[in-house]
Amino acid sequence: MTEHGEQREVFLGRVRAALGHTQTIVPDEPPAVDEALVRLATHDDDLITMFCDRAASVGMHVDRITADELVDQIVAKLVELDAKWIVVGFDSLDQADALNNAIEAADIQIVNWLAGGATMDVQFDTDVGVTDVHAALAETGSLICNVDAKHSRGLSLIPPVHIAIVGARQILPDMLDYFATQHDATGIALPSSQAIISGPSKTADIEGQLVTGVHGPGKVFVYVVEDV
Amino acid sequence: MSASTTSLTLKGHDILFPPLPYDMHARADLATGDDQLQRFINNATLSKDLQRREVCAQTFGDNYDAMRSLAAEIKQHTLDHLDHYLEQFVDAATGTGAHVHFAATAQQANEICVGIAKREKLTQCVKSKSMVTEEMRLVPALVKVGVEVVETDLGEFIIQIDDDAPSHIVAPMIHKDRTAVARAFERELGSPYTENPQELTQIARNHLREKYRTADLGICGANFLVARTGSAVICTNEGNGRLCTSVPRVQVAIVGIEKLVPDMNHLAVLLKLLARSSLGQPITVYNHIMTGPKRKHELDGPEQMHIILVDNGRTEILREETREMLRCIRCGACLNACPVYRKLGGHAYGAVYSGPIGALITPMFKGLDKYPDLPHASSLCGACYEACPVKINIPKYLIQLRAQMVRRRITKWPDRLFYGLWGMSLRHPATYRFGGWVQKQMFRAKARAAGTAGRGDRYTDRGWLSKAPGPLAGWTRARDLPTPPSNSFRYWWKMRS
Ligand code: SF4
Repeated sequence: MTEHGEQREVFLGRVRAALGHTQTIVPDEPPAVDEALVRLATHDDDLITMFCDRAASVGMHVDRITADELVDQIVAKLVELDAKWIVVGFDSLDQADALNNAIEAADIQIVNWLAGGATMDVQFDTDVGVTDVHAALAETGSLICNVDAKHSRGLSLIPPVHIAIVGARQILPDMLDYFATQHDATGIALPSSQAIISGPSKTADIEGQLVTGVHGPGKVFVYVVEDV
Repeated sequence: MSASTTSLTLKGHDILFPPLPYDMHARADLATGDDQLQRFINNATLSKDLQRREVCAQTFGDNYDAMRSLAAEIKQHTLDHLDHYLEQFVDAATGTGAHVHFAATAQQANEICVGIAKREKLTQCVKSKSMVTEEMRLVPALVKVGVEVVETDLGEFIIQIDDDAPSHIVAPMIHKDRTAVARAFERELGSPYTENPQELTQIARNHLREKYRTADLGICGANFLVARTGSAVICTNEGNGRLCTSVPRVQVAIVGIEKLVPDMNHLAVLLKLLARSSLGQPITVYNHIMTGPKRKHELDGPEQMHIILVDNGRTEILREETREMLRCIRCGACLNACPVYRKLGGHAYGAVYSGPIGALITPMFKGLDKYPDLPHASSLCGACYEACPVKINIPKYLIQLRAQMVRRRITKWPDRLFYGLWGMSLRHPATYRFGGWVQKQMFRAKARAAGTAGRGDRYTDRGWLSKAPGPLAGWTRARDLPTPPSNSFRYWWKMRS
């Protein structure tokens, strides 16, 4: 599978020579990450408030709701946005079926991207992507959206609006806490795609003026379900 | 035409690949004479530099310095053991189903990428910003074999359709204004003329969405590679990095070998510093961590993921004496902090990398004799070192390069003679005093001759030189030099007691 490239050993040979090694030397432990410096949030913080404040400060619209309000709130938002044609990926929610039914009852069509081959292609024509999240970070107000059998890479990326549903218990203090869940010695493979999302798509390329929605969603609505 | 003036007629990416040896004076003159350029770059870099300082102080407080030391230590450790971490990365990435390729040179990297495009019969490419692909001049290589390549970072896209070249590693079109964008969009995309950034962005969005949709090849760089997990990480505010790596059937990540970090917790340290240093933003909007191609049970994502590891001169810099330079995470903070970059902009550096880090690594990559001006394109004020999240001591290395130039006789003989004499005179108080006296008399005589003596100031004997002799001539091209006052510092010092 090397297309005219170098052989691995030749390539590594140059690296070793530059390092003055005759063979690859396995180092002792890499530098320890001093949490006193790096950690910017802990379990002692009011994580829900911190998450909501920071998510708002990076430009997401945040609402704190209860589980009972969830279905009505999401449908009301979709109606307000005049959504006609949406993609969803929220099967981790207890209310998944109820939400699906309520959306369809409001005459909004859910595109079944799970069926058929051109899954990404259809998403370009949709109005909104509604998703759950795999985790959230209080430190930066970030959503973490990973890919798996029920989550397309496109849901939080391709439609012009992203609505995310976050359970309060999913909020981790710091990025370190999220990455620690991946330190698993059992060697469980990481998802092929993990996105840490902090705000709507942004650019300031033209004369430094901030414009949202350049490639990804221009609007992100986050519903934090406090009693989940 | 001299080499320096030919460089002014270059267009597009050729601006970054001028005839060598490169003489930066013509472009520096052009830049300092361009008021608009000055205003734009100065304002943009000043405000980013200020935001960086505010946000870092606010977030890390007294720990800011220690945080930078930790980031420096992580990168240095990885470079010190790059053989190990590369092997670990290659094994892990291969285990996730990615194909890892090895390119000794830019040309090899292009060949590998073109080879993939040909074998897979790929014709439409969306590309996100990547400095190493600029080094390689990848886009023309792909176009030559019939692949349509679209740059998707808004700034890079504008530069591509306006046949210009990027001038900042983070904000590539920092030197262009909205009217240039408006004209380019009207001309190249047939859109109605507008200067509104919101509307211009919308035009680009609509155009580029169709490109994503039909692309079969996505090319990206990576901000980081994680050795233990075999992951590539790409950070973009716009989301183009995610789209380029999610929609097309084949993904190619082209990455310099210095991008490795050992593990995810080290990645966290660098992610926490990257956007804060770069834009004064707590975190980049999209951090996309990619570990292999689409898995069997997943419904979308690239079917193939290729990672091309690029050397292209990096193993030269990896030698112990210069290894530190490879810690760079390309945040651009040193450009924003640099008083020289702020006045000249990126194109004056005549290379892919500009600003302080460019002044340092361009001569390392391309040869000191090819870029003899760059080690001097710094006031050695140390602002770059202070801004750098991985504490690269840029001023120290620039001085080393200057010393090397003298040793290798790249510096011209009149300069060597002048500074040689100067150096000698500084070594002894008597010669120092004598030198100072000669200089004072000479400057005053010149000022008197020019009729500027005694102008303004409370030192009635003080004048101005608008044209200094010898090696100082360059200095007075853009400003006047005050003649020395009657009372020297030494005189004051003596009188004080
Ligand atoms: S040298 Fe330091 S400040 Fe400059 S771009 Fe690299 S990491 Fe950033």
